[in-house]
Amino acid sequence: MPTLAGAPSVISSLVPYGQGRGRGLGAEELGVHGEQMDRLVSLGLPTVVGITVPVSRARQLTDPALAREAVDLVEELTGRRVGSTDRPLLLRLVPSTPVAATGVPPDLPALGVCPANARALAELIGREHQLHDVWTTVLAVVAVDALDVDADDVDDVLTDTADGDRAPALLDLVARTGSAPFPDDPAEQLALAARALLHRWDSPRGRRARRAQGLPDDLGLALHVQALHVGPWERSGHGTASSRDPGTGAPRPHGTFHRGVSRRSTSGEGEPLSALPEGTDLLRHALATLENHLRAVATVTFELRDGKLALLSAAALPHPGARAGLRLAVDLATAGTIDRATAVRAVRPAAVQELLHAQLRLTGAERELARGLAASPGAASGVVALSAERALELSGDGVPVVLVSTETTPADVPALVASAAVVTSAGGLASHAAVVARGTGTPAVCGVAELCIDRDAGTVTAHGHTVREGERVTVDGRAGTVYLGELDVRPAEPSAELDTLLSWADAERTLGVRANADNAAEAEAALRLGAEGIGLCRTEHQFLGDRLPVVRRFLLAPDEDAHRLALDALTAAQQADFTALLQVTGDRPVTVRLLDAPLHEFLPHDEVYADPAHARRAAQLREVNPMLGLRGVRLALLEDDLYAAQAEALFSAWVTVAAAGTRPRLEVMVPMVSIPQELELAIGQVRRAADRVERTTGVRVPYQVGSMVETPRAALLADRLAEHADFLSFGTNDLTQMTFGFSRDDVESRLLAHYVGEGLLTASPFAEFDADGVGALVAIAVQKARAVRPDIKLGLCGEHGGDAVSVGRLAALGLDYVSCSPQRVPVARLAAAHAALQDTAEERAQDRAQDRAQAAP
Amino acid sequence: MTHTSVSPSLDEPTRQALVGLVVQGMHRGQLSAAQQALVDAGLAMVKGPLVMPTAVGAATAAELTRLPAGGPEEAALRPLFERFLPVNHELREVCSAWQIRPDGSPNDHRDAAYDAGVRDRLDDVDAAVGRILRRMADVHPGLEHYRADLGAALAQLDEGNPSALTSPLTRSYHTVWMHLHQELLLLLGISRAEDEQLEAALVAGQKV
Repeated sequence: MPTLAGAPSVISSLVPYGQGRGRGLGAEELGVHGEQMDRLVSLGLPTVVGITVPVSRARQLTDPALAREAVDLVEELTGRRVGSTDRPLLLRLVPSTPVAATGVPPDLPALGVCPANARALAELIGREHQLHDVWTTVLAVVAVDALDVDADDVDDVLTDTADGDRAPALLDLVARTGSAPFPDDPAEQLALAARALLHRWDSPRGRRARRAQGLPDDLGLALHVQALHVGPWERSGHGTASSRDPGTGAPRPHGTFHRGVSRRSTSGEGEPLSALPEGTDLLRHALATLENHLRAVATVTFELRDGKLALLSAAALPHPGARAGLRLAVDLATAGTIDRATAVRAVRPAAVQELLHAQLRLTGAERELARGLAASPGAASGVVALSAERALELSGDGVPVVLVSTETTPADVPALVASAAVVTSAGGLASHAAVVARGTGTPAVCGVAELCIDRDAGTVTAHGHTVREGERVTVDGRAGTVYLGELDVRPAEPSAELDTLLSWADAERTLGVRANADNAAEAEAALRLGAEGIGLCRTEHQFLGDRLPVVRRFLLAPDEDAHRLALDALTAAQQADFTALLQVTGDRPVTVRLLDAPLHEFLPHDEVYADPAHARRAAQLREVNPMLGLRGVRLALLEDDLYAAQAEALFSAWVTVAAAGTRPRLEVMVPMVSIPQELELAIGQVRRAADRVERTTGVRVPYQVGSMVETPRAALLADRLAEHADFLSFGTNDLTQMTFGFSRDDVESRLLAHYVGEGLLTASPFAEFDADGVGALVAIAVQKARAVRPDIKLGLCGEHGGDAVSVGRLAALGLDYVSCSPQRVPVARLAAAHAALQDTAEERAQDRAQDRAQAAP
Repeated sequence: MTHTSVSPSLDEPTRQALVGLVVQGMHRGQLSAAQQALVDAGLAMVKGPLVMPTAVGAATAAELTRLPAGGPEEAALRPLFERFLPVNHELREVCSAWQIRPDGSPNDHRDAAYDAGVRDRLDDVDAAVGRILRRMADVHPGLEHYRADLGAALAQLDEGNPSALTSPLTRSYHTVWMHLHQELLLLLGISRAEDEQLEAALVAGQKV
């Protein structure tokens, strides 16, 4: 039991580590450090010996009388004496705040050194300058912050004096210009050190740090007096370790170790933990214990004195990295420490996207040019430019450029910004190129030392490969590799842990997740990433590319025969596309949107037509505002065989795959409806197509038909659409444009950035679903549609379906499913689970509140 | 790189414009009369919206700026420059931390505590460079203004503009710092490559 335990009602001024909780003290008095040390002691982990002077008593430590009691107590706890030379002990003064904060003054690393014992201590450590380092640090801080010495004078001494002479010179400076000389007595030193730290915390810098973090200006400091066993420098040191490998998330201590007496974080790299003289077993055990206790990736700082490891701090790692956080959550749930729902909630949907960062599709046949430092993540291909000027020229022509350079300077910034990727032969992770590349989100590989750049010859050479300026290379900024030629860039596959977590998420969520996929390849990718079906197959691409001439013939056909001929060709081509798609999707739902493209995409205005009749017809079709012109169902009502032909191609494809045993659930979707009768007429076209297919094949194709809701009018009349539609799908991109009256292309770059900057909007409504305005329209539509047809299926297709924030808002509106791009499917799955779990948490809270209300008399 | 001899006939505003352009690497926007003179003299070129020094312009600026080799100013400035380099290293680390969290994810500035931690490290950097600049300005008064320029960027940062630390396209702390670094290199006639080697050696030397 402690010898100095105070009466329960009075807070003791000196609380040994591990005894705070027993005295009813928490972080508000012990500081976060004191509380942590209590916890570490209670977990049976090895900690440094120390005592806490609680927040409300901290000022008392500036009194040498209390400081003397503190020194005595530390000596008693360690069985050593400060300043003694056979079993020497020094003291370290550490401040901590009641809540985690940054900007806390730095530790004062070595109290108890004086001219009389310095030589003996230095000999024991084995490196004189290490003792002088910490001694000088203490003297410089105490001189300025407790003894009124001018900071510039201290700086002059530090600058103009050789290493070993600095401490004596500072002692001399303090004696000459300070309010008092620097004392030899450890207790008096401790009292002054306490005054210096409290003074720093009261300085403008300390106040700014508190303000920046929204902390009270009068937030106090607890002061901790730690024992510092002095031993040979090779068997002493300090380090940090976290419980997970940040790259893979595997449970193994990861960190660095600095040998020596000083605990100050130096700018040097340090040594790997494997260099610890006594091995990492103790560290591994401590970190595993902490992970279970904290239920988070744990990080510790530790010190080594005479080979003995003691923890100095422990906490949940604030930003564990997506992989480490994910794997920890899965590990803890697998071990039964937390339940699966908790694991699901522990991983942010946005982190999933980080795990799926664009990467290269490697086949093993790539030819590597060189390797360097992974300076800025992402992957890109482009043509090599060896100068900023050339990079600007090429990128000005719309060519993706990889800027390859020895190093970069401010003059190269425009070229860096314009390049698709950057490679430098000199410079590290913090080089100019790396800093700028990360700032602009450009993939970069730096420090590729073996790269030989010959600007005069216009070549880059490495490992016997020579690339000429203008040839293609591919840069993998996450791996730090440069490849020859152009490689395929695609989103990453989920890892085994991510698959596990997402399967748990699927069990929690009620919102369905489908994908937007226009062809078989996209559908395949989407299904691999867990899509339950295709929520949007756009048919526009079937009309572009090499089929464009056929479409033109159809649109510009002078007579019925030419028209029919062109349409038949289109139908045949589409049928092949649909068959390929349906073979991939299996029995899942597939929503096919009938053609919705502005006419101008098919009829460029600068086209020269061989046939003057074509030119006349094209001129008739020209539109001032094509996005609000003859689009979607409107075109189908003018060209009444268009949708019928598309539906016929789709239904015939279904008959083909059904013969092989697959039965995709077809959903035919009519776009750009604003008048319920438009939908009714289009549905009639689709029905006639089904009838025709039945007549030719004898098969009655099962299908549902529904409407897009993209216009405010469609949303407001959703009940009348629901009379005809089996499902409604909100196209929130167009709905957002039309609700705001924004033309996305025109407002996105300038206006929205300004609005967000000025606080008119919290985010671009195209990135984050607008809950207030567009959300109100969707809510009306949901309510009206369900009133007419309670079982109507309500979905969303578009980018919002893959945005975590939007998914939460859409789930709250009661939609049945969202459909997003294939690579966003994992994000949507997790976000939907979060939405469901949050709902239940809120419901539980409401239930509890109701229970309490009912229990009350 | 080809090395053409200095054209001695530059008047003072043109000389200043040339050195300023080389220190800043480029100029964006309207050309001043002096900058136009540089372009006309083949010392600078216009690339789209940018003015950049030509190779001849850069060499000329280097000669105009270089302190006399072996002279007392160089002798006094050189050790201060060697003190600057480790701080320069730390500044880049701080900029990296401002942009990227330790786990490699981009810093979205939503975590006030993390940002405050980086900002606090920046205080140490700023204090250190301030001390060095105080002594540098005694040797070469032309360097005096950098303390105020860095302070202005810092004030911007503290007014809630997170890009005022690292933005490459504005007079951010990093931009001003790069200019200072570039001017020091010109004054001492040190190439970028030598500079990096020297910095690496000085930083490595610190951790012994």
